[in-house]
Parts: sequence; C-alpha cells; structure tokens
Amino acid sequence: LSVLAATQPAWGTLIALGIFILASMWIGVLANRAVREGSFLKGFFLGNRGLGSWALALTATVQSGGTFMGYPSLVYSHGWSVALWIASYMVVPITGFGILGKRLAEISRRCGAITMPDLFRERFGSAALGLVASLFILFYMSFMMVAQFKAGALIMKISWAGTGNWSEEQKVGRYQITDAALSRVSAKQQTATALKPLAGQTFADERQLSDAVQAALKSAKVNADDEAQQVVKQLASASELTDWPYIAGLTIFTVSVVGYTLIGGFLAAVWTDLFQSVMMWFGVVILLFLSLRAVDSLKQQEAVQKNQPAVAQMNSLEFASRRAVEKTSPEFAFCPGYDGRHEGRMFLPLGLGFSFFCIWVFAGLGSPAGVVRVMACSSTTNIRRSIYLLGGYNAFIYMPLAMVCICGRALIPDLPVGKTDDIVPMMAMKVTSGLTLGQFIGGLILAAPFGAVMATVSCYLVVIASGLVRDVYQRFLRPAASQIELERLSYFVMILVGAIAVLANIRPVDYLQALVVFSGTGCGATFCVPLLMLVFWRRATVPGVFASMIAGAATMLASYVLGGVLGYGSALFGPATSFRPYYLLGVDPLIWSLGISAIAGVGVSLITRPCDDALLAKYFNAPENDASPPKLAGSPAEVSA
Amino acid sequence: MPKPAEDPVLTSARREAIIVFVTWIIATAYCIGYCAKYAYGRSIDDLKYVWGFPDWVFWGIIVPWGVCIAFSWIFASIWMRDEELGEDPPGTETVGEFGQGG
Repeated sequence: LSVLAATQPAWGTLIALGIFILASMWIGVLANRAVREGSFLKGFFLGNRGLGSWALALTATVQSGGTFMGYPSLVYSHGWSVALWIASYMVVPITGFGILGKRLAEISRRCGAITMPDLFRERFGSAALGLVASLFILFYMSFMMVAQFKAGALIMKISWAGTGNWSEEQKVGRYQITDAALSRVSAKQQTATALKPLAGQTFADERQLSDAVQAALKSAKVNADDEAQQVVKQLASASELTDWPYIAGLTIFTVSVVGYTLIGGFLAAVWTDLFQSVMMWFGVVILLFLSLRAVDSLKQQEAVQKNQPAVAQMNSLEFASRRAVEKTSPEFAFCPGYDGRHEGRMFLPLGLGFSFFCIWVFAGLGSPAGVVRVMACSSTTNIRRSIYLLGGYNAFIYMPLAMVCICGRALIPDLPVGKTDDIVPMMAMKVTSGLTLGQFIGGLILAAPFGAVMATVSCYLVVIASGLVRDVYQRFLRPAASQIELERLSYFVMILVGAIAVLANIRPVDYLQALVVFSGTGCGATFCVPLLMLVFWRRATVPGVFASMIAGAATMLASYVLGGVLGYGSALFGPATSFRPYYLLGVDPLIWSLGISAIAGVGVSLITRPCDDALLAKYFNAPENDASPPKLAGSPAEVSA
Repeated sequence: MPKPAEDPVLTSARREAIIVFVTWIIATAYCIGYCAKYAYGRSIDDLKYVWGFPDWVFWGIIVPWGVCIAFSWIFASIWMRDEELGEDPPGTETVGEFGQGG
C-alpha cells in the first residue's frame, strides 16, 4: 500500500475543488434570476421549457457518481469484462432521445405537465395514477441519492490535506479493538476470553477483523461457530473509528449542492450539470493522457531493468493490460471477469452480459430525471442535435474511463477490496504528483467525478422536491396553496432531503454501484412500459397502466427480496454485494420485470374500458382537431379557477 | 364521419422509435454474439491486442460503438423529422401553476 502514502493530498487540490464549488454556486445564482422570470413551479421545476441541445444532451442521461466511482471500481476489480457490461451505451444516445423524446415533449406541452406524475395524471385523467407514479419515483430516487452522497463525500475526503484514517488503513485501520469494545460484545464466557488478545490491534476491514476473530478462537480451541459471525458484527460496530475527514467531506458536499439547487432549482441543476459535464469531459481526457504517460514511464523503466527492448516499443495500454493480468490473473482480460476475492465469483456470465444491454437502455428510458429534461427541451431540433452531441460525448467518457482503470490496475495494483471506489480519485492524485501545478491539475481532474455527483444530486433533489411539493402537497393536501407557500415548502423539502442523506451516509454502503443499478433498474421496471403505453397506445387504460407499473415494480422488488433478504440464488453471481437480486435463469430481473409489466399492461388494458374519446383526441389526433379535455375532479386547475 | 387525422408527431415518432428499436436489437445481437464466441473460455496465450485493447474488446465493442455513433449521427441528421411541439395550454402562466394540468 505504499502508493497510498505516495498519493498525499494537498491544498492545491482543495483550492481547485473550492473554485469548482464556487463556480457552481454562481451558476445557481444566474439560474435563480432566470427562474424568477416565469411562475415559480414551472420555472423552479422545469426551467420554463427552455433547454437547448447542449443542456439536453449532456444532462438528460444517467452519468452520475456511479459513472465516476462505481463503474471505474468495477473495471479495477473485474478487468476488461466491464467493457461488455457498459457496451450498450453505444446505443443510449438514440434510444434515450429517439424513442420517447418527441412525444413526451409534445404531450407534456399539450397537458401543461411539469413533472412525470403530471404526465400520467393528465394523459389518463387519473389523479390516483399520478400519485402512485409519484410515490414510486420518491422511493427509487431516495436510493440513488444515498449512493451519490457517499461518492461526493469520498472525493472531498481524498482531496483533504492529511486525509482520513480509512484511506491510510495500513497506519491506523478502520477498526481499533479496545477493552471497552471487547466488553460490549455479548458472547459466551470462553469466547470473550479467547478474544482478549485482540485488544490493541487494528484492522483495515471487516474481512480482516473476521479472520482475526476466527484465528483467536481457533488458537484458544474454542468452538464458537454458532456465534462467531455475530461476534464479528458486534466487535466491528463497537470498534469502528469515526472517519472525520469523510464526515467533513460529506458536510461540505451537502451544503454546497443543496445550496445551489435551493437557489436556482431545475435550471441551476441543469446549468451546473452542463458545466460539470464539460468539466468531466476535460477531466477524463486529461486523466487518460496522464495515465497512459505514467504507464509509458513504467514501461520504459521495466524495459531497461529487464533488458527487454521489445517492451519499450509496446503500446502503453497493452502494457498496462498485460501488467494488470500479471498482477491478477488471466481472467482479468476476459469475461466473466477477474475474481479478486478468490471465492469463485462470476461477475459477468453471458446472461448478465445480455441483461446489461437492456439495463442501460431501459433504465435510461424510464428515468424520471431524464423524462423531465426531455419535457423541458425547447424544440425537436434540439432533441436531434442532442443525439449526435451525446454520441460523441459518451465515446470520450466510458471507454477512456475503462482505459484509465486498466492503467490504474497496473500503477496501483493492490488497492484493498472495498476501497476500489476510490480508484479514479487515487489515479488523479497519483498521475499529477510531481507535475508543475500537479495538485491543482489533480483538483481539476477530481472535479470531474465531483461534478458528476453534484449534478446527479441536484437533479434528484429537484425531482424529489417536485414530487413532494407538486404531486403530493399541492395535488392532494392543499390545492389552493399560495406561490410563496409552495416556494418555502420546496426549500424546506430540499434541506430535509439533504439532512436525511447525510444521516444515511455517516456509515456508508460498501458498493455504490449496487444502489445505482437498483435505482435505475427499478425505475426502468416500473416506468418503461407505462411510458411507452402513454405515448404510443390509444387503447391503454388507467387500470392497464396501474397493472403495468405495479407488476414491473413488484417483480423487481421481489427479486431483491429473494436474493438480498432471503438469500436465494448464488451469492457468487454478478457484482460482489449483499444488496443483490435473484437472477432467475441467469438474467437480470429487469428483463423479467419488463416482460411481466408489458403482459400486465396490455392484458388489463384490453379487458377494461378505453379512455374517454375527448382525452384520446387531445393526445393522438392532429392539432386542428384539438378539443378541450375533460377537467379532472379535484384538479388544482379547477380549484384555482 | 371521417376518421380524424393522426397527430403527425405521433406518426413520425412511431416510425423513428421502430428504427431505433431495430438498431438496438442489431447492436445487441452483434456484441453479445461476438463476445460469447471470443470473450469467454479462452486461453490467455491466444489473446491478441489491437491498439492496446484485447482483440475481443476491439472487434466486439469498440468497432460497433464507432458504427453506432456514425449511425446515430445519420439517423439524427437525415431520418429524424423536425416537428412543431405546440405550446402549454393557455392560462398556465396567468394562473400560476394552476392551469390545466399545470
């Protein structure tokens, strides 16, 4: 772990990140001025439908903390197999905008929808449908938010001068066993006695702690198989050190992102997202260049040391790849991927490889954050332009990041299991050390993942706040609420969500990407088929869309209950996390969820009464035949009128 | 009574959605088919590198990715039609958020 010591953070990095945060705040203030030009809700939650092609292309898809923390962690952990895992991003630009884009933008205008639940409510004339959609969105977004805050805090922490003890666990350790911690373990007398020699020792992670407990019990000849696991959990809980730099990072991150979103709402989220997406592009390109340069330097050294001139002529990426294979195993270069824990894990069997070709496409289609941005676009010309902008952008993000992490395995080969989420920040610090203004450049590179996380959090803050304020409070609790009341409530909700996310992240989850995948696939399972029915199918009915939403969500949740809670299926299949679904026949539950959602939606629609003709004419006939739709009972429109 | 004309945005959006869906199927079939054959169950001794990438990554993912980008540009420039999206219902602004559905 000597490299950890070599990648010491410093003030230049913090200054660069500080400038980045201030720039985001300034954009929030500019957005606030623009928002004030229209009505509060439409401006604050939809930016007055003024998104151009750049803003739409670079902000409407699913780049997030997962892109810069979770995905690189997987590449580092499992090798080139992750290229197949992410490959469907090659079609995401056209599937993301080409399937639903135009119709969503059109229908949302025809009914004046501001949020995704508004769309369901108005298109089908059902307040209950809008409420159910809103509750599902709040549920899934909460998971995504939790994951993002951890990523933001980690980046702040790594750039902190004199970083926290978790990052330097070879010195201090995450778990420090004290007499007080041992006294808090409730176990049989002989077990407690056997554990006493552990006092004063430190351990980097729970696995090390578990091994030490097993060894202590064995050496004392205590047979405690029945309670060993419980003892480890208790001891881990009692001896875990508070990671203050992480807590400080979490606080600064939360205050800044909630702050600028609070100031400028949707437009602040979109404009900062655009600014941050551009920073990400530069960050990844610079990081790729510097990583290949660092590998090249290592390659030249090795060629001289081993007297192998052929090595000096080798492509740097090939050298990194070969070296990564040497440091791990040949599995690193192939599918189903390298198993760093040596427990027989199949990271990406073929069934899952196929699944991910569906996951990224359909998770993008059903993403509430993406749908809202398409609703906010200013014209179809901008939707078209977004496709080619995003195509070019993605090409410079995903495969280059994979290349950076392959270089990462060659340059930092021994990052402990559980710390691999840190690989991009670690690489940024490592490849800039020794450069003129290296710390500052490192900070600018770190701004890429930091920006991705901030952008995602600000976007989800807007979606969650609009869900609670617009779809629940205004629709059902106080339809006659004044503008100032809604404004204050929106601010309160954003602050509350930020505070909850901080509390939920004081003890962060181990695998960021598992939460991102759950949230994304959950949204896809719940909303993909209903959205397709909403935009393309006249015969879709309210009970049909209800059935489709609930069947899709229930299938997805059932798979997580079966796999993650009840422990069905192999735990050695897919990414290493206890938060995992049950993979029926080896494919991801999203595939089953989409199928069941479609069958339920179509089946129930066909046996129930079609929607009102006037409603259908409004959304499916040419504009000259436009007729005023029947107003929905209890609609805020009626109340205010 | 004559059947009312279909919304032209719906007509073009449906046609474009079908093209996109077929593109997704072709990309999936090619990538999964190629990787099934060349990325699983191979010996490291057989592995070749193309521009630094393992051969299966280059031919099974990088090349189709490039083709998809080119196709996306053609699709967005030539096949996708511009349409008038319309305006929000009157009254949405004047009554604050309390217009029809808005």
